[in-house]
Amino acid sequence: MDDRTAPRPLPGMSFQATATAGTSTSPGTARPMISTRNLDFHYGASQALKGISLDFPARQVTGLIGPSGCGKSTLLRVLNRMYDLYPGQRATGEVLLDGETIIGPHVDANRLRSRVGMVFQKPTPFPMSVESNVAFGIRLHERLGRADMAARIEDALRRVALWNEVKDRLRTSATSLSGGQQQRLCIARTIATRPEVILLDEPTSALDPISTARIEELLDELKQDFTIAIVTHNLQQAARCADRVAFFYMGELVEVDEASRLFTTPRQKRTQDYITGRFG
Amino acid sequence: MTTDASLAGAPTGRSWGDPAFAGIVRACGLVVLLLIGGIIAVMLAGGRQAFSTFGWGFLSSSAWNPVLDHYGALTAVFGTVVTAAIGLVVAVPLAFGVAFCLTEMAPAWLSGPLGIAVELLAAVPSIIFGMWGFFVIVPVMAHDIQPPLIHTLGHVRLLHPFFSGAPFGTGLLTAGLILAVMVTPFIAAVMRDVFNSMPPVLKESAYGLGSTRWDVMRQVVLPWSRTAVIGGIMLGLGRALGETMAVTFVIGNTNRISASLFSPGNTIASLIALEFPESPAGSLKLSALLALGFILMVISFVTLACSRLLLRAGRTARH
Repeated sequence: MDDRTAPRPLPGMSFQATATAGTSTSPGTARPMISTRNLDFHYGASQALKGISLDFPARQVTGLIGPSGCGKSTLLRVLNRMYDLYPGQRATGEVLLDGETIIGPHVDANRLRSRVGMVFQKPTPFPMSVESNVAFGIRLHERLGRADMAARIEDALRRVALWNEVKDRLRTSATSLSGGQQQRLCIARTIATRPEVILLDEPTSALDPISTARIEELLDELKQDFTIAIVTHNLQQAARCADRVAFFYMGELVEVDEASRLFTTPRQKRTQDYITGRFG
Repeated sequence: MTTDASLAGAPTGRSWGDPAFAGIVRACGLVVLLLIGGIIAVMLAGGRQAFSTFGWGFLSSSAWNPVLDHYGALTAVFGTVVTAAIGLVVAVPLAFGVAFCLTEMAPAWLSGPLGIAVELLAAVPSIIFGMWGFFVIVPVMAHDIQPPLIHTLGHVRLLHPFFSGAPFGTGLLTAGLILAVMVTPFIAAVMRDVFNSMPPVLKESAYGLGSTRWDVMRQVVLPWSRTAVIGGIMLGLGRALGETMAVTFVIGNTNRISASLFSPGNTIASLIALEFPESPAGSLKLSALLALGFILMVISFVTLACSRLLLRAGRTARH
């Protein structure tokens, strides 16, 4: 039933342009699903991102690491324009989602967010049943019959390995689930709307090690279908899950590389210092 | 932790202040209890004569005849409940709109002043609303609102009884609208606080799925805050039930029960305010008024108790 795995048709013309104009440092990466060029971001008077040019290759996991306040979470909030909700926050520069610009007044933020899903640090189940939580996003964008909806819900819950745990209590309140289950439910809710990109903002920092391991395993499966960006403070997690890792410091992108290379032979001294625990 | 021998020793010199303070605040709390108990006792004692004379019939009789010394509470209770209900029907959507606008829509430069305006509106004394209602709303109702309603809805078969009669301008509908204006800021302030207390990340999750503001409000914020919102509505209802001056100005003050919303009537509070000066001490009429006061207190307590319970239920459900 799932046509999710088929790639969306490319806009074509802009793909070549962004791929070659990119400052991406690692050769041989897949086409970028998201690319930012000279992205600046301001919270009122203070600048949180300085000239970020970064590619997020399609169907890979890109890890964003760096000390607190370095701008990595801010970058995520630009990619789905979450910052729009708050006055005084503004982004300038270029951000392309599959070749389409997403910065600017003529972009429909609601449609963008249906294509770029987000999972937060703490689980955020809505105050409704397990089933309704997953159905929530689907209902916003599609009209499905009862059977189709049930199938979509089951599919999403299976993909986050939650189905067997909750299939007998789909109608109970989502807040009665454990923290790890709630977080997987939130991921299910996000993928149920079939986005192209999933943004994860420290998704396991509130979870126990077993729940964390489950979500990390999950990422490996999800990247077959989705482009994933994950912010994490846990360097081992970045090393385990991410194909590429970008290191941020004080609002700047210091270095981006294949995870294996960045953690073994970083080119920048600041990266080296951070990953060896000398600061941050 | 380790037990320290000095903890069991004699109290140090400072320690008298603590019990003294505890005693004072306890006394303050006690005063409140004594006051409320005393008020109830006085109402009940004063109304005993009326209750014993008319029995349960006091509640079901619509008579108010000082000549025959025959009194009943029904008209005033009816007017109280109907005006409060009209007030809420108008105020709740209005207050929701205000709160929604304040929390989700208005830019910072607008939401600040608007929030203050809402609080100021809540602080306007009710006598001001009464005069404003009498000089502004009553003529508007008589000329611009009631005649068209009579000519349109008054001709619809099922609605006919509610929208018939002469357009005096005063009456239950006018009183209800004044009450709506008066309770809207209360309800709006509670709703705004409840909406604001929602964790931003929960709202962001809903926005993150592509929700519009309305989706977020209807499907996430309202279910999450439902009980607290109902509690706020109950607080507004409590005020509407007991409001005296503003209602007295515009309700027409007639002892009559009619289905028509344009019909003049009275409420418990307006009846007491008007009749009290003409009720000699020891008369059955005065006793009937005190009995009405007791009934009003019971109605108010029941709504207040409901709102407390709902607010508490909302709070515990969230944690």
